[in-house]
Amino acid sequence: MITIYYSWRNLWRNSRRTLITLIALALTTAVLIINLALVEGYLKDAVANATDLVVGEAQVHAPGYLEDHSLYKTIENPDAILKAARDNGIGATERTYGYGLVSVGNKSAGAFFWGVKPSAEKTTFELAKHIGEGSFLTDSETGGIVLGKKIARSLNANVGDEIIAVVQAADGSLSPALYNVTGILKSAGEDIDRGAAILNDADFRGLFVMDKGVHEIALNSKGRIAPEMMPQLLAPALGKAEIKTWRQLLPAFSDIINLSSASIGIIGIVFFLAAGLGIMNTMLMATYDRMREFGILKALGTGPARIIGNVLAEAFLLSLVATLIGIILGLAGSYYLQVVGLDTGKVSGEISFAGVAFDPVWHASISVRTIILPVLEMWVICVLASLYPAILAARLEPVKAMLHV
Amino acid sequence: MPLHVVYAQSGKLSARDILNKVDDLYRGDASTGEMTMAIVTENWSRTLTMQIWAKGKDKSLIRILSPAKEQGTATLRVGNDIWNYLPKVNRTIKVSSSMMSQSWMGSHFTNDDLVRESRMADDYTFETTFDGVRDGIKVIEITCIPKPEAAIVWGKIVLTVKDESYIPLSILYYDESMNLVRTLIFSDIKNMDGRDIPMKMTVVPADKPDESTIVTYNQITFSTPIDDSVFSLRNLENP
Repeated sequence: MITIYYSWRNLWRNSRRTLITLIALALTTAVLIINLALVEGYLKDAVANATDLVVGEAQVHAPGYLEDHSLYKTIENPDAILKAARDNGIGATERTYGYGLVSVGNKSAGAFFWGVKPSAEKTTFELAKHIGEGSFLTDSETGGIVLGKKIARSLNANVGDEIIAVVQAADGSLSPALYNVTGILKSAGEDIDRGAAILNDADFRGLFVMDKGVHEIALNSKGRIAPEMMPQLLAPALGKAEIKTWRQLLPAFSDIINLSSASIGIIGIVFFLAAGLGIMNTMLMATYDRMREFGILKALGTGPARIIGNVLAEAFLLSLVATLIGIILGLAGSYYLQVVGLDTGKVSGEISFAGVAFDPVWHASISVRTIILPVLEMWVICVLASLYPAILAARLEPVKAMLHV
Repeated sequence: MPLHVVYAQSGKLSARDILNKVDDLYRGDASTGEMTMAIVTENWSRTLTMQIWAKGKDKSLIRILSPAKEQGTATLRVGNDIWNYLPKVNRTIKVSSSMMSQSWMGSHFTNDDLVRESRMADDYTFETTFDGVRDGIKVIEITCIPKPEAAIVWGKIVLTVKDESYIPLSILYYDESMNLVRTLIFSDIKNMDGRDIPMKMTVVPADKPDESTIVTYNQITFSTPIDDSVFSLRNLENP
């Protein structure tokens, strides 16, 4: 306790030097915290861009469904899986798919029909809000159809038009039906743009003569639960069904995320090193500055261990106070960036990848990691950077130390 | 008889003549018939009966008689265009060119099979690759490779006919990587309206040997003239 008290008093004996070091440390800590929060935010946004629209953080299918999209490979116990997901706080929605033909006037095209639960789709994913014209389906109304952007264009279909759908139903029969176009999606990736014909679950089951069974359960916790945890969380309810995370479902996108996280990670490390070197320099100079003081202390009979101990205590105390201020500043800064964000749209224009429009606003993301890492770095650098001159001073002859310039 | 002249000269029909004979087997100025199509797939089996009218090489109309659920569903083909009439919703749709490779009525035939106007002798280069006794029957095998400019989806087809009668026994269809895609087997030869024709055609997809589509002619005539108005959209929708 007494050491800390003396250290504190010692620090303020040269208040200008201490204040300069303190401010440098605090600001560096704050900037590092904001930097890390921006990096985390970038990666989180990139993942959310890939998953929030329609894919989700993970999906459940019957074994082999993804290979051939067979109408007959359905999940056996969808209700148990949906319940398990929702009990774990994971948003979940069921989808049923089938191939067929859509026609308007004398134009026709192959389509990939989706049977969806509109309200669950709206609360869990962005696709239902990703409407260019008209509106999405509702739970209560049947007879509506929502088309992908390009398939609507190739059919020359507009909102309100009548669509004839013809499919080969699950019993093999040729099954036709009429629907009205309620909405046309915005661009949402090539497959959806070219092929999607989205129906209410009840309409889909009528068209495909399929009274039960779903092909896909898409899971989205919107970042609350790590996708890698989901297979484990849902394991008891899965039965024979398979769960895959977005990294397995979108391997190309996963690679891009890995690549960009590696590059932004390297930039982050360089930034950390640069900041660390700056602080090391400040601390080295601040300690060298006191060589003569250490010489006098030695002349008065202070042991080397005591000198080193005092210097370390001072350095630690200084970094403790500085990082505390830094945390407050850094949190304030990253909170602002988390809520308001950086509008990169003014610089880069609208960014889109694989037909998916990206949010141009760059949001930070605060986590324990974004605070702990900068603070720990500051502590370690402060202590180590003052340790070296302290050891040097402790080993010098008092007269030499006193004459040290 | 001209056939005797050919025999007298070479003893046999040339490969070109055999291909033409097979291509014209079910074609005539006009043909009317009734057929049964039995489809077996991994997940379901069903049987359809249908009435067919065909005229020349580019007009045909097929109307489903049973099952009741699909009764009246009809397919009209004129030239390269196909329309499907769907009585359940009282609408007619035109099958787009991109849908041509899709299954017709859930069978192992495609829409393309219905419209195909190609003639083996014209659109393929061919040679006789076997001539002798196979499985106790004297057969001739002709292998056809599509000409580069021909719009043919296959990489190769192999036709086997009975020697002397030149009635087809089988056609093997290969894709462009020369993998067998499907086998078409002809059987149950009967004399209908003065022609010897196989009454039964079986298609087996190579990747799913347990599946098949069997088309059986219950009756076919080549002598009744058909008016062109039969092959109109109006007749398609209002028979």
